[in-house]
Amino acid sequence: MEPADAREHLEMAERIVAASTRELSMRYAAPFFVVWGLASGTVCLIYQLIATGIAPPWTQWIGVGLLALAVVFSAVYGRISSKSACGLTFLQREFLNVLWIAMCVAFVVNVGGWNIFPLFAVSAVWAVAASIVLFYIGLHENRRALAGGIVLVGSIVVGNFMPSIVGYVLAAGFYIGYAGFGIAELLARV
Amino acid sequence: MDEFLLSKVRLGIVAALLSNEWMSFAALAENTQATGGNLGAHLAKLVEAGYVEEEKLFVSRRPQSRYRLTRRGRDAFLAHVKQLQSFLQGVS
Repeated sequence: MEPADAREHLEMAERIVAASTRELSMRYAAPFFVVWGLASGTVCLIYQLIATGIAPPWTQWIGVGLLALAVVFSAVYGRISSKSACGLTFLQREFLNVLWIAMCVAFVVNVGGWNIFPLFAVSAVWAVAASIVLFYIGLHENRRALAGGIVLVGSIVVGNFMPSIVGYVLAAGFYIGYAGFGIAELLARV
Repeated sequence: MDEFLLSKVRLGIVAALLSNEWMSFAALAENTQATGGNLGAHLAKLVEAGYVEEEKLFVSRRPQSRYRLTRRGRDAFLAHVKQLQSFLQGVS
């Protein structure tokens, strides 16, 4: 083998490995962000409407129903995606681990700490977990995810100074930061 | 050097599989820029050498093949890359 050929072989292998490990593809995950962002935002919105007396207390069950639908969607979509011939990259597998760890910890903390966290603190904890996921994606050269994470954290900070409308602010964070990120990823694919 | 990996297409296939759990035939074709027939022939050699594992499955009632790197293939790739690097160092 000539040195030029050896160099070409090495460069090609490095290029292929680098391309698949640098960027974290959101091809399959984008719909999750849309669904969970819309569901979480709507739950915040409903609780704000209840807190301000615009909506009756029973409407909280709409929020519960939306979250249940999001869980069903995740299970069905995850099952369909796993049947695809094209598997995950190891980087995507690592991302899914981060996603599930962040969301499971947030869920356990929310359910187990219901005496510690008042109504909107639950949404804020959820927003923190969601922002960690987005920042993790952002670390892999995804500016849309970074922007989404900043919007989510920003919604907590802004909401802190606007206690009377904190539900609206957190809802905007989920709609723009989380669902918006998912929509941007879906549009980027087209 | 590893004779199976001296081919650019085969080296490309193994490099692409290195960071994926499984890859479909179509994804490998896109990644390596190889034509269907050419890719199929090289994949068959890698499967025969025990570097790559092939799985046939049905997706939406259509038959598809997917591939993943075996431990043997991973070790061979790493050793081959190391040998290429030492070869180039020896030359320069």
